[in-house]
Amino acid sequence: MIDRLTAALGRSRADYTEIRVERTWSTAVTFRGRRLESATASEDQGGFVRVLNRAAGWGVASFTSLDRLDAMVARAHELSRAVRVDPPIRLADVAPHRAEAMLDLDGDVRGVSLAEKKRLLEAYNGAMLAVSDRIVDTLATYRDEVSEYWFVNSDGTILHELRPEVTLSGTAVARRDGTIEKGLESVGLRRGWNSVQDGLAGFRTAAERAVQLLDAPMVKGGTYPVILDPELAGVFIHEAFGHLSEADFVYENPQARAMMTLGRRFGKPVLHVGDNGAAPGLRGTLPFDDEGTPTQDTPLITAGVLVGRLHSRETAATMDERPTGNARAVSFRHAPIVRMTNTYIGNGRGTFEDLIRDVKLGVYACSAFGGQTLLENFSFTAAYGQMIRDGHVAELIKDVVLAGNLFQTLDRIDHIAGDFRWNQMGGGCGKGGQYPLAVTEGAPHVRIEEALVGGDVPA
Amino acid sequence: MIDRLLEQARRHADGGADALWRRVERTSVAFEWGRLKSAGVTEETGVNLRVRHGGRVGVAGTTAADASLADLVARALASAALGEAVDLPFPPRAPLPPVPTYFDRAGEASLDHLIQMGRGLLDRLAREGCRVNVALERETAETRVANSAGAAGSYRSTVIAVSADVWRIAGDDVLVLGDAFDGADLPSDAALHAIAASINTRLDRALTVVAPPEGALPVVCTPAGLAALLLPVTQALSGKAVLQGISPLAGKVGQGGVFDAAFSLSDDATCVGRPASRPIDDECVPSRVTRLVERGVVQRFIYDLETAARAKAQSTGHGQRGIFGKPVPGYTNVVLGPTPDGVGARHAVPLQLGGGLLANIRDGLLVDELIGVGQGNVIGGAFSHPVALAYRVDRGEITGRVKDAAVAGNVYELWKRVGGFGNDARWTGSRYAPSVLLEGVSVARR
Repeated sequence: MIDRLTAALGRSRADYTEIRVERTWSTAVTFRGRRLESATASEDQGGFVRVLNRAAGWGVASFTSLDRLDAMVARAHELSRAVRVDPPIRLADVAPHRAEAMLDLDGDVRGVSLAEKKRLLEAYNGAMLAVSDRIVDTLATYRDEVSEYWFVNSDGTILHELRPEVTLSGTAVARRDGTIEKGLESVGLRRGWNSVQDGLAGFRTAAERAVQLLDAPMVKGGTYPVILDPELAGVFIHEAFGHLSEADFVYENPQARAMMTLGRRFGKPVLHVGDNGAAPGLRGTLPFDDEGTPTQDTPLITAGVLVGRLHSRETAATMDERPTGNARAVSFRHAPIVRMTNTYIGNGRGTFEDLIRDVKLGVYACSAFGGQTLLENFSFTAAYGQMIRDGHVAELIKDVVLAGNLFQTLDRIDHIAGDFRWNQMGGGCGKGGQYPLAVTEGAPHVRIEEALVGGDVPA
Repeated sequence: MIDRLLEQARRHADGGADALWRRVERTSVAFEWGRLKSAGVTEETGVNLRVRHGGRVGVAGTTAADASLADLVARALASAALGEAVDLPFPPRAPLPPVPTYFDRAGEASLDHLIQMGRGLLDRLAREGCRVNVALERETAETRVANSAGAAGSYRSTVIAVSADVWRIAGDDVLVLGDAFDGADLPSDAALHAIAASINTRLDRALTVVAPPEGALPVVCTPAGLAALLLPVTQALSGKAVLQGISPLAGKVGQGGVFDAAFSLSDDATCVGRPASRPIDDECVPSRVTRLVERGVVQRFIYDLETAARAKAQSTGHGQRGIFGKPVPGYTNVVLGPTPDGVGARHAVPLQLGGGLLANIRDGLLVDELIGVGQGNVIGGAFSHPVALAYRVDRGEITGRVKDAAVAGNVYELWKRVGGFGNDARWTGSRYAPSVLLEGVSVARR
């Protein structure tokens, strides 16, 4: 394959050419309620070409038939030349790399029969259903893949990788009369079959929580001191801040650039934020990004001050900064764009109890059903929550939606515990029509002095 | 190709088979922050096969051009061996409605034409202190579906998508406003003008920031702003949710009092000029108009073949399938209110923001976009979302944009009594709806 790709590269007439080919074997098993909804094995393959010419724009082509490789390189060149660009697009220099990276498959999922995968998930799904007869529906999914990946570019980089991925997720729906509640647990790992053998407890927890939420009152809307658990804190930093630190948002937008000036204070000195695509063993981890740039740990906020941002080769060149290995594509169907990898809030000090000790009335918001940011504004739905009363965790509450303004909220983070952990969840990040991208988030418990919690709003 | 595939499958699967083959070509152009930046093409071909063997159903898909048919059949059979029994009847050949899906002008539009349209939009949106992104895409596709019962259909289709968004950042105030055209044919100049006018009108009104109101208030949702209020309803009207026992509308067919008597909702797979329209669904069921709610009364749910078989109902022609995985029930063109007459490509009609519903509002909100729609326990009907773009309405007039406000309520309560439907019905993606006035929506501010 490498020979075929370098030969095609050799025939390209463009100033810069990159070619990426992926071949992915995947299986998916889904249970809904007591029923197996589907068990399938799929094969997806295709290629992506991107070229750049002087005073011209990007020409890109994606295709499923590799026989079309040469034709697609030629077509991308034509497209590039049809796009006149001034000032020219520049790419930051990245030293050429040659690498074979066969990641640890940790029990190659391709060697496990579909029947065995079904049995495993059936047991997990059964554990949810067994929790209570109030569980009226479940959704249990198992998905695995092994992806073989080739990348070459005209700077001389040649990469060949084998990447495993496995995700498990369980959603339990509990119902009593008109009340319907959900519990959700998931795990996503860049590993294989061996890593999903102890998932039972997580599935059971999802079902137990759904049942407990039936009796939980809706949180009373208002402003509270809010403590985020590490999972929600991770989602928060990814959604509310991470996307703003992606340089494609600022690099050609002077007003955005002004808003995100390095050196600007974003939070109190306790706040440290970064993105680490090289952290060992995580789902967002890869040796190189999809432009062939090595991944790295990039500090974004240090002691409350903005110190860095995430780059592709193009955004780095425009801003005269260094590429950070954050140009990623969700598959051969897409061009690489600036994305996060493993985004984290750095560790603080003390325990969870230290965070709530002086809180008279507050909300402990846990886990996430989802989150969305519209730049400065964000909204997160916690999977569940608990009230904090007089320094202690009290009753379970539901429908905890956190909404706010990014700048105000970051600045109101006043206490960060020392119990950092990575959240190895399933799902993924979406941007520019590319979803789901494998990312990880990590954080300790985090306290926000005051935040708006939606819910039952008194009229 | 799928005829040979079905022939092979039939030899091994005793309960028949169906398949979908699709080839898609896309050309796209992107203007980033006001300048033309890239042009691209996509060519994608794939096939999805479903077999029924020993009463069990299995599926397999591939995009590999060199994949052998035998291998695909074997994978589908392996999937069926694990599957649960379902009495899935493959429908027989039936007449198909004439639905135009291919428009020559769209299919033959050149790259230069797309670029010109983009430049035209950029010119109309240019404004001091703002940056504009414009993306244009032209898709041509060929779809063929067939089954072992003799049903088959094939059609060519075109899609044009044009979207624009304007970014205005002033200090820490970020305002993003966009609109889009999606159609099967090229947009007319008037349609392109309407996108720009819609963005400019809403932007002009958003430049002043005012304090949000608070309390249980009248709220007008624009056609785009309706998403949060319709999503739970469409989820609950899926036969799949009914089967799962999680649809609040299960058992409500034929009952009054569930929705306001002025509330009607339908799904129309035959609308002329819409990207989601088609003569036949992805499981060989002919397309039709499905009345979901008529004058406040739930009529039926949508089904694909499998959910219909399990629910002992008939497929409503809502089978949707990709290359991987099995078909699922999915909507085509969702229409709130009367079905649009004539050409379905009505877009952005900025007659007047609010569709004429603001006049009698003393203090309220006009909502154009909410944050976090689709998160959480959607189907239950309770929602709480911060506003992304909303305007304060004071004595019938828009006074400015509000920030830092959230709206909450339960959609089933709100749809019981609709204050009015606007005169500004339009397409937003695959939904056709006017602005809607709802009473007593909780509005909270920080």
